[in-house]
Formats: sequence, C-alpha cells, structure tokens
Amino acid sequence: MTDAAPIAARGLFKSFGAAPVLRGVDLTVAAGFAALIIGRNGAGKSTLLRILAGLWSPDDGAALLFGEPSAALPPAARRRVGLVTHQSFLYPNLTARENLEFFCALYGVAGAPEQIARWLERVGLAVAADDRVRGFSRGMEQRLTLARALIHRPAALLMDEPFAALDAEGVAMAAALIGEALAGGCAIVLTAHQPLAIAKLEFALYEIVRGRLVARPADGGAEPRGAIDPRQPAA
Amino acid sequence: MNKIANLWLGGLTGVLMTAAIYMTFVYVPTEADQGIVQRIFYFHVPCAWVAFGAFGLVAIAGIFYLWLGQPVWDDLGYAAAEIGMVFCTLVLVTGSIWAKPIWSTWWTWDSRLTTTLILWLLYGGYLMLRAMADDTPQVARFAAVIGIVAAADVPVVIVSVRLWRTIHPAVLVTRQGGHGLEDPRMVATLLVALAAFTALFLWLLMLRFATLRMRARLGAIARGLNLAQAAAGDL
Amino acid sequence: MRKDLRLELRGGESLVALVALSLLILVVMVFALDPAGGVRDAATAAGALWVALILAGVIGSSRVLLAERDNGCIRALIASPLDRGALYWAKLTAAFIFMAIAEAAAIVLMVLFFNLDFDWRLMRMAPVIALGALGFAALATLLAAITGRVRAGDMLLPLLAIPLFVPALIAGVKASGAALAGAPFAAIAQWLKILVAFDVLFVSAGSLLFEYVIGEE
Repeated sequence: MTDAAPIAARGLFKSFGAAPVLRGVDLTVAAGFAALIIGRNGAGKSTLLRILAGLWSPDDGAALLFGEPSAALPPAARRRVGLVTHQSFLYPNLTARENLEFFCALYGVAGAPEQIARWLERVGLAVAADDRVRGFSRGMEQRLTLARALIHRPAALLMDEPFAALDAEGVAMAAALIGEALAGGCAIVLTAHQPLAIAKLEFALYEIVRGRLVARPADGGAEPRGAIDPRQPAA
Repeated sequence: MNKIANLWLGGLTGVLMTAAIYMTFVYVPTEADQGIVQRIFYFHVPCAWVAFGAFGLVAIAGIFYLWLGQPVWDDLGYAAAEIGMVFCTLVLVTGSIWAKPIWSTWWTWDSRLTTTLILWLLYGGYLMLRAMADDTPQVARFAAVIGIVAAADVPVVIVSVRLWRTIHPAVLVTRQGGHGLEDPRMVATLLVALAAFTALFLWLLMLRFATLRMRARLGAIARGLNLAQAAAGDL
Repeated sequence: MRKDLRLELRGGESLVALVALSLLILVVMVFALDPAGGVRDAATAAGALWVALILAGVIGSSRVLLAERDNGCIRALIASPLDRGALYWAKLTAAFIFMAIAEAAAIVLMVLFFNLDFDWRLMRMAPVIALGALGFAALATLLAAITGRVRAGDMLLPLLAIPLFVPALIAGVKASGAALAGAPFAAIAQWLKILVAFDVLFVSAGSLLFEYVIGEE
C-alpha cells in the first residue's frame, strides 16, 4: 500500500462520550476501485465517512486522503475530494444553477457555464435549473448534490447513502455517474443500509460490525470472512 | 496536585492574609476624610488587581491552548476564569459597600468601577459559554478565542471609559483618594494586602486547576476502560 | 471569494428584517425617551440610534451571517480548497455591508424622529457610522461563528457581543452626538481614535482566530 492511496484509514478509533463507535478500522481504496460499507443504523457508517472526509477527528488512528491526514488537507488535495453526506451542502436561497456556479468557483472548475449546463442535463434538472433549491423535493436535492460533488472531477469520492431519496430512474442515473467516475480513476467509498445489487458496478463489500470493518463476499451473503483485514478491494 | 506545593501555598496564603488583616485593622492609621470605612480600600484594590490579572491569565492560557492544543492549558484558563470571576464580584461588592457610606449611593459610574463592571460581564460571558456548551475540544477552542478577544478588548474599554468620564465627570467625586497615600504605613499595608490576595488567588487557582485535571484524567481512564471492556467482550 | 457575497445578498429577506428591526427599536426608543417635540437633542438622538443599531445587529446578525447553517454548507466550505482567511474576509464584507445599510436607514429615521436637520452635520457622522459598522461586523462575524455552533447560542451572542462592544458603543455615541451638535472636529476626533483602535483590534483578531473557530470538532 503506497502512501499515495487516495483513501486510507489506519486503526481508526472514535468514541462519543463513553460509547465506542469505531474500534480499529482499517481500509484502503486505490484509484479506480470502490468500497461499499453497509451496516445497521447507528453502526458507525456516517461516523467513518465523516472522519475519512476530515470533518471529524478520530480519537486514535489516522484517516488519510492522498497520503495526507484528512483533517488537515492542503488546499490542492482538497480540490480533488468530492463529498456527499446527509446534509446537502446546498444553499436554499440560491437556484440550482447558482449553487453549481458557486461550487465551480470554489473548486476552480474551468469552463464552468458549459460544465454546469452539462451536469444539470445529466442529473435531469435542466428544467429546474433556475428555481431555488428551497422548493426542491428531496430527490431533486439529491440529484443536485450529486452534480455538486462530481462537477469538479474529484479523484476521491466519499458518499454517505448517495442513493437515498432517489427514484428508480434516479438510482440508475446515479449508478451511471458513479461508474463513470470509477472508470475515470476515482477512488470511491460509499455507505448504504444494505448491499446494493447495481448493475455494472462492482464494489468490495464491507460491513461495520461492532465498530470494525468486516469483509463480505460480493454477493452480500452472510458469511463473515473474519475480522479486520486491510486489503486492496479486488475488482 | 502536588501535596507539598498545596501545603506551602496554603500556608503562605494563611500567613499573608493574617498579616494583611492585622495591618488593615490595627496597624494602619484611620484615614482623615473617610474614616474607618476607608479600610475597605485595602481589600478592594488588591481584589481588583487580581481580577484583572486573572483575566490576562485566561487570555494567555487561551493562546497557549490554541497554539499547542494541550488540554492542560484549557483547564488552566477555565480555572483562572472561575476564580477570577469570584474576585471580580468581590471588587464590585466591596466597591458598593465603600460607596454607600461615603457618597450615600450604592453605585457610582466612575471610570474604574465601570470598567470593572464590564470586566465582570466579560467573565460572565465566558463562563456562560462554558456552562452552556458541551465539553468538547471545539468548545474549548471557542472559549480560548473568546478569552483572548475579551482580554484584548479590556485596554480599549479602559481608555474609552476613562475618556467618557473625563468629558462628563461623574456627579460624585471619584475615589482618587486611593492614590493619595501620604502615610508610608498605608503603602505598606496595601502591598501586603496585594501579596496576600495574590497568594489566595494562586492557591485557589491551583486547587481548582487540579480538580479539572483530575476530571480530565478520569474521563480518559473511563474511555480506556470502555474500549478495553468492549474489546474483551468481543472475540 | 467574493462569490460568498452574492450569497449573502441572496439572503435578501434577512437584510430587510434587520433594517426593519433597527427601525422598530428606534421607535421604541422614542417612546421610551420622549424627546420633547421641537427640541433638537443631538445627544439623545445619537444614543437612541446606537441602541437601535446594536440591538438589531445583535439579534439579526447571527441569522444573517450564518446562512450556511441550514444545509451544512459550512462543512462544504471547510472541505473545499477555500482559504479559511478568505472565508473570514468574505463574511466580514457581507456583514459590513448589511450593517452599513441598516445604519443608513436608521439615521434617516433618527433625523425624522428627533427633529434634526438634514444638513452637513450628518456628513460628519459618516466616518463614525462606517467605523462603527466595521467594528460591529468584525465582532459579529467572529462571535456568530462561535455561538452558531453552541447550544442556546442565540442567547449567548448578545451576552458576549454587548460587553465586548462597549468601547465602540461609548465612542460611537459620543462621536455621533458631537457630530450632530456641530462640535469642532477635535471633539469628534478623540472618539474616532478609539473606534479605529477597536476596529483594528477586532478585524485583526478576527482574521487570526477565525480558523480556530470554524473548524469542526
């Protein structure tokens, strides 16, 4: 495992007050690979994702993005990270287009106007481009969130339940976008409640059990293969 | 906290306090204008010096905490704020007690008392922040920032209040009598009282600081226990 | 990142509310102080003005400044390549503009309510108002970032902001009163110096300390 692995976690521990949530999580995701992490509510999926994203600090261990600690990423590295969480990060008073304009400016995306138009098209929001996000349905918000996260072509993607609130068409669209990103060499970590059988996408499957990552066979069967295993997800 | 240091500091405080009390009530001559009540000056002024000094300590601890990130500085700042608040309250109370017989009013808006009142409010704000918020490193950082900003503000407060009062002199003559210490015995008493109150402050500070440190250590032990327990309860 | 500015401007509704609030408080002050009709009382007018501004500012600023609270946009900003210092300046600028607009509106009302004149003396208030707005904006930006993330933060903001703002309040009221009463410039200048010192202090402290305040847990 080289230091330049896009997403890596080493021995992450996190407790909230006296309750331990993560108890030694190891993970490495190389470019072009995806890891899907499932678990029950409260198992620690979102916690893990937030720590990987650098929003929270672990009590012990390290979360590394491109070899740097995620909580203290230099701006150049931050530019290459895309984030989807339960919060949409969208400004309700701005329109969809303006939101994307803002994030393009923030991340220094070249040729913003064309990119924005293209992405709005891809996520099916071209019609609502100039409506305020405040009036969007949850599904529309999620679509815009995906556009927001991907528009700057990140090399590392962290997504917390990206398919939430999407209808079947939306799920297909999201899967296509994620597949594209993977093909483009992005390293991805996703979380979900249950294993997803999404056509054409291959994940390495992990489940959080009592604060540790347990590898599962790709078919989502219930055979645990053992305790913590830092492994390259096999394609 | 070191038992010996505790003993020494406590003993020193006791000795100095006894000396101060003796000197204030027996040794020093009664002041011509104000009579016996003036003796409160020897408690009032040292309390004020301590209150202001303690606030400076809060700010310095805050700087070190932000710079070094070690919780010990945060505990020091918090303890200093708590004890300093007590002394600040004493200043206002003794000032009030002093004012009543001399000027037949409970409060005067002279520059020193007003500044102390503002200081008291700043202390209050800091302590309210710590009381209302949870006990996280983030809040500790907030408190440090507030402490620093507030302490930096104090000189500006002093200047502005003084200017305020010279333009519109207080209806009541200010207690500038404090600096008309003709008798060297008065000076001596004041110095001893100052030393006594400083020692008292330091002693209380150390006690409080030790308590906070113990609590921090207890928290760490509890967390460690929990982790070990959970690990043992596993495979 | 001046883009952030446009953002704040989009929060147009908050601005309107802020202005309205300061005007309302001015009205309250008139009832409370009851300036005898016809008497031009510069000092009272200045006092009422600043009370209105501070109260409205304190109540309104947390809402105005932290539009990002809603959807966790603060986290987006933190995660982005944006320089934390730039974030502070952007927020400060937005806050300043808001305060300045509110102040301008309040001054107009003040002149009307307190039977003053729209004359050259008002111009002399300009630097006072500008400095006051800047100082308050700097203070509020820093504090709002703190209190926005704390339980019962809405109550905490005025608790912290008002004592910290006292020197600027004193200087502002005195300088405004002097300007309105047509006093010589020297009289105003001494207060302006305090305002300048206050502004320098809080702007620099804010920019230095903002990064400690804006990070996550």
